[in-house]
Amino acid sequence: MLSARRLAAVARKEWIQLRRDVRSMVLAFVLPPFMLLFFGSAINWDIRELPIAVVDRDVTAHSRRLVESFEASGYFTVTERPATMTEVDALLLDGSVIGALIIPPGFARDLSGNRNAPVQLLLDGGDANTATIALNYADAIASRYSQLVLLRGQRVVLPVEPESRVWYNPTLESSNMIVPGLIAVIMSIIAAMLTALTIAREWERGTMEQLAATPVHRLEVVFGKLLPYLLIGLFDVTVTVTAGVIVFGVPLRGSLILLGAMTLLFLLGALGIGMFISAVLKSQVLATQVAMVATYLPTLLLSGFLFDIASMPAVLRAITYIVPAKYYIAVTRGVFLKDIGLDALWVQGVSMVLFAMVGITAATAAFRKRIAQ
Amino acid sequence: MMDAAARRRVRSLVRKEMRQILRDPRTKRIVFGSPILQLLLFSYAVTTDVHNVPLFVVDHDRTAESRALTDALTAGDWFHIAGSSDDPSDLERALDRGTAAVGIQIPPGFARDLAARRGAAVQVLVDGTSSNTATVAQGYATRIIQEFGLDRAGITDRGVDLRTRAWFNPELSSRTYNVPAIIGVLLMLMSLVLTALAVVRERELGTLDQLLVSPITAGELMLGKTIPVAIIALIDLVIICVLAILWFDIPIRGSVLALLVSSIVYILASLGAGLFISTISRTQQEAFMSMFLLFLPAIVLSGFMYPVHTMPAFFQALTVLNPVRHFLEIVRGIFLKGWGFADIWLQLGAITAMAALVLWGSTARFRKGIY
Amino acid sequence: MSSAIVAHMLTRRFGEFTAVADVTFDVARGEVFGFLGPNGAGKTTTIRMLCGLLSPTSGSATVAGIDVATNAPAVRSRIGYMSQSFSLYADLTIDENIDLFGGLYGVPGDRLEQRRAWVKDMAGIGGRGDMRTGDLPLGAKQRLALGCAVLHEPPILFLDEPTSGVDPLARRAFWDLIHSLAVAGTTVLVSTHYMEEAEYCNRLILMNRGRIIAEGSPFELRASMTEPIIEVTTDDAARAVEALDGVPGVIEAAMFGRAVHVVLEEAGLRAHVIDALRRAGRTVHNVSEVEPTLEDVFVSQVRRGGGAVAG
Repeated sequence: MLSARRLAAVARKEWIQLRRDVRSMVLAFVLPPFMLLFFGSAINWDIRELPIAVVDRDVTAHSRRLVESFEASGYFTVTERPATMTEVDALLLDGSVIGALIIPPGFARDLSGNRNAPVQLLLDGGDANTATIALNYADAIASRYSQLVLLRGQRVVLPVEPESRVWYNPTLESSNMIVPGLIAVIMSIIAAMLTALTIAREWERGTMEQLAATPVHRLEVVFGKLLPYLLIGLFDVTVTVTAGVIVFGVPLRGSLILLGAMTLLFLLGALGIGMFISAVLKSQVLATQVAMVATYLPTLLLSGFLFDIASMPAVLRAITYIVPAKYYIAVTRGVFLKDIGLDALWVQGVSMVLFAMVGITAATAAFRKRIAQ
Repeated sequence: MMDAAARRRVRSLVRKEMRQILRDPRTKRIVFGSPILQLLLFSYAVTTDVHNVPLFVVDHDRTAESRALTDALTAGDWFHIAGSSDDPSDLERALDRGTAAVGIQIPPGFARDLAARRGAAVQVLVDGTSSNTATVAQGYATRIIQEFGLDRAGITDRGVDLRTRAWFNPELSSRTYNVPAIIGVLLMLMSLVLTALAVVRERELGTLDQLLVSPITAGELMLGKTIPVAIIALIDLVIICVLAILWFDIPIRGSVLALLVSSIVYILASLGAGLFISTISRTQQEAFMSMFLLFLPAIVLSGFMYPVHTMPAFFQALTVLNPVRHFLEIVRGIFLKGWGFADIWLQLGAITAMAALVLWGSTARFRKGIY
Repeated sequence: MSSAIVAHMLTRRFGEFTAVADVTFDVARGEVFGFLGPNGAGKTTTIRMLCGLLSPTSGSATVAGIDVATNAPAVRSRIGYMSQSFSLYADLTIDENIDLFGGLYGVPGDRLEQRRAWVKDMAGIGGRGDMRTGDLPLGAKQRLALGCAVLHEPPILFLDEPTSGVDPLARRAFWDLIHSLAVAGTTVLVSTHYMEEAEYCNRLILMNRGRIIAEGSPFELRASMTEPIIEVTTDDAARAVEALDGVPGVIEAAMFGRAVHVVLEEAGLRAHVIDALRRAGRTVHNVSEVEPTLEDVFVSQVRRGGGAVAG
């Protein structure tokens, strides 16, 4: 027969111990908002104002206007105007420009004569991502300029006109992508650290044995211990979500209740796993290490937080199915940016419930060995 | 520089450390197994390449041309069909749910407009939540569609014909960029973990007193603790480089000697940081957490996952103090651009200064007594 | 230099807390000198200061003629030290531990081999040098740790609670070792909280709350206690103790096995005690005077100082 009173007693003790430990308090309340502000500001993927070099061998109105349109786009800024190809080589080699635009003589003539007007773009391919994006922008700018020219005089329309619209995040700001994901990452790391820190300490001190001698039931112990951390987690999520909206201007379009419920489930799972690890390993040092590696790495790399899962090799894609943070991030991004409900997120919802159940079961099973009931 | 007795003391300590590290199966796994594991994990997961993007097609035209357009989109490995339907609301649902990242809607009369050169319209919808992927995917889709139209209309005159060549990494594979960088991450991780725990563990076990009361000096103790870790880190370096070259086909185009020298200095800087953490932590627990909290920003603000130049100015300035940032520039330059000593002197100087500072700081703290 | 160790007004504060205050004593060469006191008395802190592991807040210490505060490194090769917690590496073998400390103390190769044989023999390990140190029984580990501390044959040896947790038989064996070292000329400074071990020392100091409360040989200390102690056997020891509570002239009454030890203000009060017991209904079987133990001396000194026992 489960007793709420015993559960409350365990929870109260847990809370008192937590409150007295300065390190845990800092971890619980100071670290999450700090991490959000720090990493949210630092991780910025918006590619703007890429430095390029320009070698204009044509020196006509057209060539000048082409260069201007590159700069006017906001994506590029001309920082160097080298005279020779050797200088261009050197600039690319030492990384001071990411690309060089080389306009050959005869450019304007070819353009006005309705001929192909080749222009060379050399890119520093080292940073492939930036290079790819730069390439796409450059292409877009070049073709728009072509259209502008061709339109003058004749009504030419591209055979196929793609009209593209970006949904949910029209300005394509990276903070809208990163902040919701960051919340999930921070929550996992904190959950793992907290439980590893405090639960393992109890095993080490031998006070678990003390508890085992009382009539307490192991489910009461598990939930009693979870309760303070759960509340802390919810508080942290509230603070970080608020910070995300106010400081970073991320829109919050969906249902807060949905977010809250999913967060609760996610926390249950993460905390449960953390407790399981601590109970099994019993050494604080080891528990901290394993908890962090087992949660931090997959959460950082395999959850879709920064890196697109679809682009990963099949093996890793398969592994991501068991990374809980992946589902949670889908939820946070969905609620922030998409204004969708449970009908669209039911897969994630079910996964969260499963995760929570696994976490609690694992924690309870681990306690069974020690608390004989 | 050191007399025979001092050399013997350092040697005894180094031998003891090596024995302890190699004997503990857990440490052995951390030291040799996990760099390989993490190398594989990082290099395959940390990809900013965009391919295999799920695409949802709503084709109202259903002609040979509209099907040809769909085929053109899926021709390379950038897109794959995640679903198709007649009903646009299915497209919306797919985007909402995240089962598709890009959707195209081909209007009725597409083939007719194309034949008449009337500017056939195709709607492209992109899920912007993953902004990086969205930017690239949008660019790909737009380009493929435009090319399709120009091809079909037989137009070869493109106006401005932008011919692009990517240096150093012609296929623009992000792995080439990332794998050398992972060397930096793993070396720092290894050095930090091993040294941060080193001194603290002794203190926790009670053996530290026994060392301190012997004739060994603070400097000798530092040497005794750092040399084994440096050896291990260098072994890890070789393992990773061999893997990079043989498995990932990323050759070292620049000076191997410069790489070695830079790595040694970088390892020393990481070791110093670890030792410093060790001297300010009372328990292994504390040491590990401090190490983690230092490691995370060091990696994020290093240019490993995304370029330094996209960071806000304040953070860019901060990265100047981060040896990881400088080392990543060195290692990428040597691997991809064929850099040699002449190219790396600025970064190498920065790392050397930091290494000296942090090693001196740790030794000073040690000398004062850790109580 | 006639004294091996000289401490003068050694004081150490940690912030607000004073761990050791004005500790002054000296130890002659070849003496076995004891620090006796409960946990928290300041014994370990004092020893750490003498070894150069901790710097004193004020005061001075001279070990082997060298001022520890100004020239700690010079002291290190002249002393041996065994810390309170187990000081050898559990995951290394016996031989590897000996290698390490031999190297750290610069013991020349051939001499090291002789010392190695001696240590292993003394610790009762015999030829099994490749055994993991952590797997040894506690008594052997302590002896091994002692051996490693004297590999370099230092003239002065500091032992911080070397027999904690060791069974009485092993403790005796250990003290025999200490004595043989002393006989060979080593000055040994030992700390312990086992009062009966103090009997093995030539001289000792009693410490409580960071201060020395008494000093002398075991005999002198016992003689310093003027209050007589009588042992009373009755029919019910517990009730007897209760009965003596508050009786004038009785400083303290406590159970001692089945009997009761009573500390009196003066010898003549015997009769009062018997009286009080009889009035309380107790049957007194026997009364005799007993020698005070060092524990009694300790408690008496603390009482005289007006304080309470630490820890």
